[in-house]
Amino acid sequence: MKNIIMAAALSACIATSALAETFTFVVPQKPGSGTTVWTEIVLKELARFMPGHTLKLRNFPGARDIPAVNAFQNELRFDNTIIMVSHGGNGVSFLQENVDYNYADWESIGMMNLNIIVGKRLDADLENIVFASKSGRVPDAMGMALLLCGKLDSIAEYTTCFKSKVNWVPGFGNGGDRRLAFKRGELTVDRENPAAYKKHIAPNGDAEVWFHHGILQADGTHADDVNYPGLQMEILYEQKWGEAPSGPMYDAYVLVKSFRDAMQKAFWVNAGNPNAEVLQKALLEMSKDPQAIKAIQKKVGKYEWVLGEAGNARRDVLMSFVTEDALRDLVTFSNDALNIKAVYKESIVNPDAILTVVEDVAEEETLVQRISNWFKKLTK
Amino acid sequence: MAAILTLLAGTFYGLIIGLIPSAGATTGLVALFGFISYFSFDPYLGVIFCMAVVASSTTGDTYAGILLGIPGANSAAATMVDGYPLAQQGRATEALTAAITTSTINGLFWGTLTFALLPQYAKLIMYFGIPELWAFILLSLACVGFVSNRFWFRSIIAICVGIFIGLIGIDPETNIDRFTFGWDYLGDGVQLMPLVAGLFAFPEIIAGWRRGNSIATIGEETHTHQTWEGIKAVWKYKWDALRGGAIGAFVGFLPGLGGAMGDWMSYGATVASHPEEEFGNGNMRGVVGPEGSNNAQKATSMIPTVLFGIPGASFAAVLLGLFAYLGFELGTQEIAADIKFFDSLTFGFMWATVITGILCVAFNKQIAKITYVPYIYYFPFLVGFIIWACVQYTGGWQDYAILGITTCLGLFMKKYKFSRPALLMAFILAMKIEALSLQMWFIYSVDTLVTRPLFLGIMSVVIMLLVFSIVKRSKLEYA
Repeated sequence: MKNIIMAAALSACIATSALAETFTFVVPQKPGSGTTVWTEIVLKELARFMPGHTLKLRNFPGARDIPAVNAFQNELRFDNTIIMVSHGGNGVSFLQENVDYNYADWESIGMMNLNIIVGKRLDADLENIVFASKSGRVPDAMGMALLLCGKLDSIAEYTTCFKSKVNWVPGFGNGGDRRLAFKRGELTVDRENPAAYKKHIAPNGDAEVWFHHGILQADGTHADDVNYPGLQMEILYEQKWGEAPSGPMYDAYVLVKSFRDAMQKAFWVNAGNPNAEVLQKALLEMSKDPQAIKAIQKKVGKYEWVLGEAGNARRDVLMSFVTEDALRDLVTFSNDALNIKAVYKESIVNPDAILTVVEDVAEEETLVQRISNWFKKLTK
Repeated sequence: MAAILTLLAGTFYGLIIGLIPSAGATTGLVALFGFISYFSFDPYLGVIFCMAVVASSTTGDTYAGILLGIPGANSAAATMVDGYPLAQQGRATEALTAAITTSTINGLFWGTLTFALLPQYAKLIMYFGIPELWAFILLSLACVGFVSNRFWFRSIIAICVGIFIGLIGIDPETNIDRFTFGWDYLGDGVQLMPLVAGLFAFPEIIAGWRRGNSIATIGEETHTHQTWEGIKAVWKYKWDALRGGAIGAFVGFLPGLGGAMGDWMSYGATVASHPEEEFGNGNMRGVVGPEGSNNAQKATSMIPTVLFGIPGASFAAVLLGLFAYLGFELGTQEIAADIKFFDSLTFGFMWATVITGILCVAFNKQIAKITYVPYIYYFPFLVGFIIWACVQYTGGWQDYAILGITTCLGLFMKKYKFSRPALLMAFILAMKIEALSLQMWFIYSVDTLVTRPLFLGIMSVVIMLLVFSIVKRSKLEYA
């Protein structure tokens, strides 16, 4: 009997160890950053729903948080134990920068869909707004341009109107300096995600909500935020200008706000990864566990989770917003009005063009590569 | 319970680092980069640990200065001038006890004033708009470059180099790479850890290695008697101790000074106050004066560091980076409202000061034995530990390359007396200088700037410091 029990125990151990995996979650930022902290919080809870497996976080920081995501696209995703953690800024970069990655090649494990709230000081002069610039704030700038300027015929006209009404101030970071400048009145308009808005702007008696972008629905439309009802950009636009927003500027605005807000925090694996099901199942179980969700919400706020196949569907909805006109208009406005060096990437609209872009980049030899090649020749 | 264990761990770690010749608070904090992320489950424990390291290493570095004639850190260099001769005269315990008691009392006094009132100082932030912060940063660079080093032109070069290195990475306006020379690794900028290790840790370790070993011992019979004599000396020279503390506290409050600056100013003030006495050959006042300064300075350095995100001294610059890793962005509205953060700062610093003070006085003789260990035994561990911490960024060859480059830079600057603190300060503040300059340019005009008295006042001081450094050179040569 003793031998049977020992054999059974041994078999169980062998079986468990054979199935056990070490999953590495690659975060494109430094330790201590917002996405790192979010990942640490989620992994702590997720681990309970993946017994026998080890969940590991790897920081892979780099310029504009792009190198890690590029590395995932080019190399890391082919390892079935690697999960990419992306954030909203990656979505904006995907649209208008020369990045390698393409969400279409990946499979969603889960993502958080959230809204961004734009606040203004009570004494703000809406004809002379002072707002901190950042590439991740392109949707906010476009929303402002639509609200302030109404329906115009071209992106050039929106650019002129935006520049006449908004002082787009460079140099601010994502955190404290901007919030402090807003509180002191040096900036007159600011924006935050819902949790940060509640924490930093709502308690400020000198400020109020101006507008928000709405929450992306499964069918591709944006719904009003129940926390700030009646203040969605589209609703305010219609109240002010007597018609619903439409036209090229609005299409570009919808494109960029969707890519930023709907994938604010997301887990991805390579398409066809055999471990996807295990990960999706664990995340689903975690999302149904009141204790886990309470622990996460306590630290990161009440955000909507979109899990598994629903995440892929959400990604596909986002990709359907990408049209040649909308993308061109977004790039034009970013360059002309916001001084962001954006590029139009045909590869997003026409996937066949990807190879062309990669080849162009490969032809450029950097200084370090030149030195490296020179050194190799020398040592030969 | 976790907080107490963390406090004890930080205190012992800091004490040991402080005892190692040429190490000190900055080196001890630099080595923390390798494992600071382990505190991510409770970042406040990380704050306690860091503050305990700051407090205990500051007290601990006195040992090497007095017993071996090697400063544990630059902050102990002034103490060494009269402390080492006292040790050679057989009064090592007396000098150590006096130094530690003075350091502890001033640390507690100024620590209480600083940490108890720190949330109140937070209101100051609202008076410091973008122009005032910009001017304040210039003031800090002027202090570290022009006052703490007599070679003002070399300091300007160091500041320029520091700003250049600090600007490597992403241009915040155009969002494209700059000064990266096509090296993708630099896209996220030069990391603080290898820069600090290269500028400070390795040059000091190498200097310590070259100096070799010099051993002093504490006599058995005189030990107990001298401990009591040392405590009495603090009371006897209380005004020197308090003056030193006040000078250290003031210097600590001014961003960019700290460390050697406060200690040498206190030592200078002590010498100047007693023109009839001889210094440099074992005068107890020469120990009590500068030792009053170092812990007080560490405490008040936290005011500009925490409230404005502007490091009050070299160690605070490293602390700023460590706290950023823990998710605390200093100089922000959120930090000013984070009571638990302030409590952790206070708890870590104050209790580590008390524990270290008691331990050091009670176990002077035993603790001092660590300084008798030949350099060769801990040199490899210290070097290995720092290298390990420096290559945690990517783990690739680039980390080693950057460390090698910064070490060469540090050795060059030390040899030719270019101000390393000025370079570090400029590096850390470079992005802030650029950001504030852009913000000021876009939001303010000359007309609005001249209506801001605080801005004008700070700028006047900056200009006066520059003129002072050119006309009447500082005597300090610390590089």
